[in-house]
Amino acid sequence: MNKLRIYFAASSVVFLVVLAISPLKDFFREWKWYQYKYNDIIKELPQRVKPADIGIKQIWVRKLDNIDRCVTCHLGLKEKALREAKEPFRTHPHIYHDFEEFGCTVCHEGQGSATTYKESVGMVKYWDKPIFPKEYMEASCAKCHKQKQVPQAPVLTLGRKLIEESNCISCHKLEGYRKQWVPSLDGIGAKVNRTWLVKWLKNPKDYFSKTRMPNFLLTDEEANILSDFLMTFKSFSNDVVLEPLPKLLSTSSVYDPVGESERAKLIELGSTRFREARCISCHLINGKGGYVATELAKVASKVGAQWLYTYIKNPKRLQPGVEMPRYRFNESELAGVVAYMQSELVDYEMEELPQHSPDPAYYEKGLALFKKYNCSGCHAIGGMKKAEEMGPELTFVGSKMLYEIDFGKSNIEQTLPSYLFAKLKTPRAFSSAMKMPNYEFTDEEAQAITVALLGNTSEAIPEQFKIYPKPASTFAPQGEFGKLVDDLACFGCHTMFGRGRLVATDLTLEASQAQRNWIEGYFKIPYSLRPILTERMPNLFVSDSEIKVMGDYMERVFIADSLEREINVDEAKIAKGKFFYYGKFGCQACHQINLKGGYVGPALDKVGARLKQGWIFSWLKNPQAFKPESIEPNNNLTDEEAEALTAYLMTLK
Amino acid sequence: MASISYRLRVLLAICLSLLFFSCTGKHSDSPHQVYDLVEGAAKDSTKLADSSGQVPPLQFVKSLTYEQRQGRDLYTKYCAICHGKEGKGDGFNAFNLDPKPRNFTDAKYMNALSDVRLVETINQGGRGVNRSSFMPSWGGRLNRQEIEYVVSFVRCLAKPEE
Repeated sequence: MNKLRIYFAASSVVFLVVLAISPLKDFFREWKWYQYKYNDIIKELPQRVKPADIGIKQIWVRKLDNIDRCVTCHLGLKEKALREAKEPFRTHPHIYHDFEEFGCTVCHEGQGSATTYKESVGMVKYWDKPIFPKEYMEASCAKCHKQKQVPQAPVLTLGRKLIEESNCISCHKLEGYRKQWVPSLDGIGAKVNRTWLVKWLKNPKDYFSKTRMPNFLLTDEEANILSDFLMTFKSFSNDVVLEPLPKLLSTSSVYDPVGESERAKLIELGSTRFREARCISCHLINGKGGYVATELAKVASKVGAQWLYTYIKNPKRLQPGVEMPRYRFNESELAGVVAYMQSELVDYEMEELPQHSPDPAYYEKGLALFKKYNCSGCHAIGGMKKAEEMGPELTFVGSKMLYEIDFGKSNIEQTLPSYLFAKLKTPRAFSSAMKMPNYEFTDEEAQAITVALLGNTSEAIPEQFKIYPKPASTFAPQGEFGKLVDDLACFGCHTMFGRGRLVATDLTLEASQAQRNWIEGYFKIPYSLRPILTERMPNLFVSDSEIKVMGDYMERVFIADSLEREINVDEAKIAKGKFFYYGKFGCQACHQINLKGGYVGPALDKVGARLKQGWIFSWLKNPQAFKPESIEPNNNLTDEEAEALTAYLMTLK
Repeated sequence: MASISYRLRVLLAICLSLLFFSCTGKHSDSPHQVYDLVEGAAKDSTKLADSSGQVPPLQFVKSLTYEQRQGRDLYTKYCAICHGKEGKGDGFNAFNLDPKPRNFTDAKYMNALSDVRLVETINQGGRGVNRSSFMPSWGGRLNRQEIEYVVSFVRCLAKPEE
């Protein structure tokens, strides 16, 4: 009997313990630990912060059909007092979206409905979308923001720019990028010499440090065969033939004192024109100058004189689509420029290749190599068809599952971002059969491209959230002006109605901005308005009649009548304007007048003879309305202040 | 006796197993250890890849926060011309200015200023806070949020107080 009691007592105790387990387990939830900890932490803060109620919290995003319980532990997301706190309590950085509206996992990935750390981060079996590393966060912006430029996501913007510039789409299928212009290879055999070509194929960056051509990691033998193959293409497209060199340029081996002195004069002339034409605004010479076009430091050791002569005379005949202006040089100036380049821009260290006998089957083997590396993906040659995209499609690369990726024998972290990063840095590391060339991206560039690629997901986002790029501008001037714009490659630097580059000023409102006399004088002798710029307007040596055509067109099209403004000028107003300029707004911090002042903005000497008063007034009121990229501060001027400043500036003539 | 002890054993076994399962919850080790473990794992994996010398490991280029990165980009565009890329007050236009632009790496001076003061200075310019009018007012160009980004970046130029 007694024993039975003992058993009864023992089993009751056991029963009670078993009953207690469930509430105990609930009491020791991980998230509760965080909530108690949070309430402890906020007690020590100087400011009063509302303590958290104990319990599961969640954000339900109806539009995206998503439930995120991250806020159960991340309690301080909106508390500014917790900026310096440790995770998970730290304040969320202020971004342009309210997370209470969009939730967390739409950007961060991970498992929103989970309530333990490990599960929510997604590092568990069968959860394919682990949380994004912080460094790749901007990839999530790409799900909705499809424009090229996303100002709040600079890494993504850089990545998209690099994808376009590197011409990834010539091998990979990827929507939303434009193909870049790449020189055609027609007539390459008559353009370059084989020694240069072999060197170039081996490592293009050796010759031109900023070239977009990647390194195909060719072996010596491959480079030899491919260059032999390419050298056979000696005729240009559209039946263009190289022009014979003028007598002045043909050098004879016999010493001729008269010819020598004439040649020296010619080189002198060429050197002057070379400087006036501002070739270095676009071309690089020994690392200095613009990077729009190719390196010129050793160009005479690359191309023949005849090709150079024909090319400068009319670039678009040899390279259709190239954005180089046709300079209006006369015969002797042209010969001079070529003679100057031949004498100065030489690679003195280049060694002639030893005589070699081409492989008997070089043409077939060369063609095979040409096809293997998909050279025609970028370069046009001999009417050869563009090869089909040979690389894997990248449209939904951000949604690739881990089991779809071949990590080879590498022991990098087995995640998609780390795979993409490594692939960009060392394209052929995962298998020897890979053909992707090496672009020599820096870590930062590779990371940016990885971000842009990760954003290409197949996730279904409701259309209402997506923001698409504006359609590209189709502005194409017609008639005489259109021909000139094409001939002078204006779009290579200037933007008009949304088309073109922003190397130089936007011309859309040029006639409202500048006075006709000034524009015409500027074509004659271009000078830099901003002393610090490296890219400067070249002297194109355009004729008076051409200047008139351009002036007329601008006055009709590049103008907005709303910018006209009459201003009553009197002495008091000018004096006030002068005070505003030097005193109140400190304009001289950035602008120069008579060589005094800063050199951030354009010099304002003679601005009264350059700009129109209506423009100055409107510009001062809101500079970014006309040029969104301008860094001129918007001082929120009153009409009176802007008028006074305009009146003062218009007196500077 | 034997049968009773058998029952007892069964009961004990059930109890112990239940207790055991209830103890395997995460609360047994502090959750902060979980964080440490995850961070440690990431570090280790980069180390592993380093030693292979074959494939470059995933590298985290930027250690700035989102706000600081946004601030850095705005700073580089608008401020660096005078205040210098590293905030030493030595931008290329500083040469033309007298008084010279502020040196943001001067910890003693900068740490004495509140965020509110910095925001006001950027917002209203020098003329709004009794300083040189060479510092323009950026309130019309940058919105409040952008100015706060810039401040958060400027804050990391000087060494904060211990």
